[in-house]
Amino acid sequence: MIIQKLKYFLKETLRNLWQYRIRNFFSITIICLSFLIFGVFLSLSNNLHYTAQQLSKSMMIIFFLEKNLPEDQRSLVEEKLKGSSLIETFQFISPEQALEEFQNNFPELRRIIENLRVNPFPSSFEATITEENISSSETLTFIQEMKEMKGVEDIQFNRDWVEKMQSLSRLAQAVGFFLGGILVLASFFIISSVIKLNVFARKEEIVILRFVGATNTFIRIPFLMEGTILGILGGLVSLLLIFFLIKFFPLYLGASLGVFNELINFRYLSLSQIIMLIAIGAFIGFSGSLSSLARFLKV
Amino acid sequence: MIELHHIWKQYQPPRWALSDVTFHVKRGDFYFITGPSGSGKTTLLKMILREIIPTQGQIIVDGKNVVRIHDHKIYKLRRTIGSVFQDFRLLFHKKVFENVAIVLRVIGVSRKEIRRRVFNALRIVNLHHKMWEYPSQLSYGEQQRLAIARAVVNNPKILLADEPTGNLDPELAFEIITLFKEINKQGATVIICTHDRDLIRHFGEKILFLYKGKLIRKEAL
Repeated sequence: MIIQKLKYFLKETLRNLWQYRIRNFFSITIICLSFLIFGVFLSLSNNLHYTAQQLSKSMMIIFFLEKNLPEDQRSLVEEKLKGSSLIETFQFISPEQALEEFQNNFPELRRIIENLRVNPFPSSFEATITEENISSSETLTFIQEMKEMKGVEDIQFNRDWVEKMQSLSRLAQAVGFFLGGILVLASFFIISSVIKLNVFARKEEIVILRFVGATNTFIRIPFLMEGTILGILGGLVSLLLIFFLIKFFPLYLGASLGVFNELINFRYLSLSQIIMLIAIGAFIGFSGSLSSLARFLKV
Repeated sequence: MIELHHIWKQYQPPRWALSDVTFHVKRGDFYFITGPSGSGKTTLLKMILREIIPTQGQIIVDGKNVVRIHDHKIYKLRRTIGSVFQDFRLLFHKKVFENVAIVLRVIGVSRKEIRRRVFNALRIVNLHHKMWEYPSQLSYGEQQRLAIARAVVNNPKILLADEPTGNLDPELAFEIITLFKEINKQGATVIICTHDRDLIRHFGEKILFLYKGKLIRKEAL
């Protein structure tokens, strides 16, 4: 019985969607554009966040030690690093290892180093820290403590890029939510108005349904389904457009990205974000219809 | 079956659309309500259907006070009443079958049962062979018969008809009222509003005369 009724409602909904297809097409377009703006900012935020993550993964703190540091002093520094919860991994780099690494990385400078006749590189500890601690105040305090420690000559920690990426990511997300929020609200009113028009257009049919004993719910369900489908379709089309935008935008930019081409990896929305967009579409469609029905369909 | 107790209705002061109308219709009765245009016939039917509420008075339909029925429960009353309107009120974008089936769909009757009952109702009005046509493809008289099929498909206890023959030629009008008589013989209480004197003379047993909102005569021939 329920399946039979659902079939009837679905048939009615699809028929109504088709009957007022031009009006419905415009409402889907507007919902789609609203979601497109929201989705683009969400995707931008994803990309910046991803880039920040990549940067932070390769980010190290290098603790340069004083030359000819006695073994016990070095052990103290090592103990301090081992004891910190901020440090994920660390390893000791001897002056010989540092020299070798330099010569491997910059073979063209090999002769200059050879001419020096002495190894200019100090020994050091290379440490990685957990991602969530990159910008934390605890890390700054820890670095300050290490700076003041005997045997530590200098510390290299360049976190500016990561911080910039992270704050840009947050900014993109905030702008997306702000603009998206306004546009989603506009979509709500558009769906509400479209359903209102559809209710007016089917006024006579509603009157007849009332006279044959239809309940309020029976009359309302096709309208609610209509709004929900409009919202979902708007969301789905916007996801499709975002997909094509992400696929073809890098091609459009081409070589102009330069060195950033390696760094920026255009990524699509995550599954949870896709589900969220469709769910928001369904929700605004449903609630938009409900609000117009509450006011204009007093059965 | 239907009791109206001192019904008053005012749309716009100072004129009263109905003034102190009282009458009782027993189960299985066949009534004509007649009177000139604007005498309150349609208002009376609309009140029984609970489309409008009287300014004063009580309406009891099948033991229930219609005036006091909550808005959300009106559908229960309407499922027991079949109604035929002068303008037919058909769904022109739906086929003949669907126009009748809608009554059963709203109460959740199974598909098989819908087919059986719709076919029977359409056979009564001799429209079963036009089941898959659209109302716009039917003649005026056929559209009227379709409206009657829709009104009777759910075997209603009460059948209300507002000027059901208003736009029909006399021959077709007789045919329609004969149909109502048949439905009445099967147990439904029938009330027909009309100002067609020929029909009343021919079929009228119990007649209510309304004039300027007042019930001036109750007549049993």
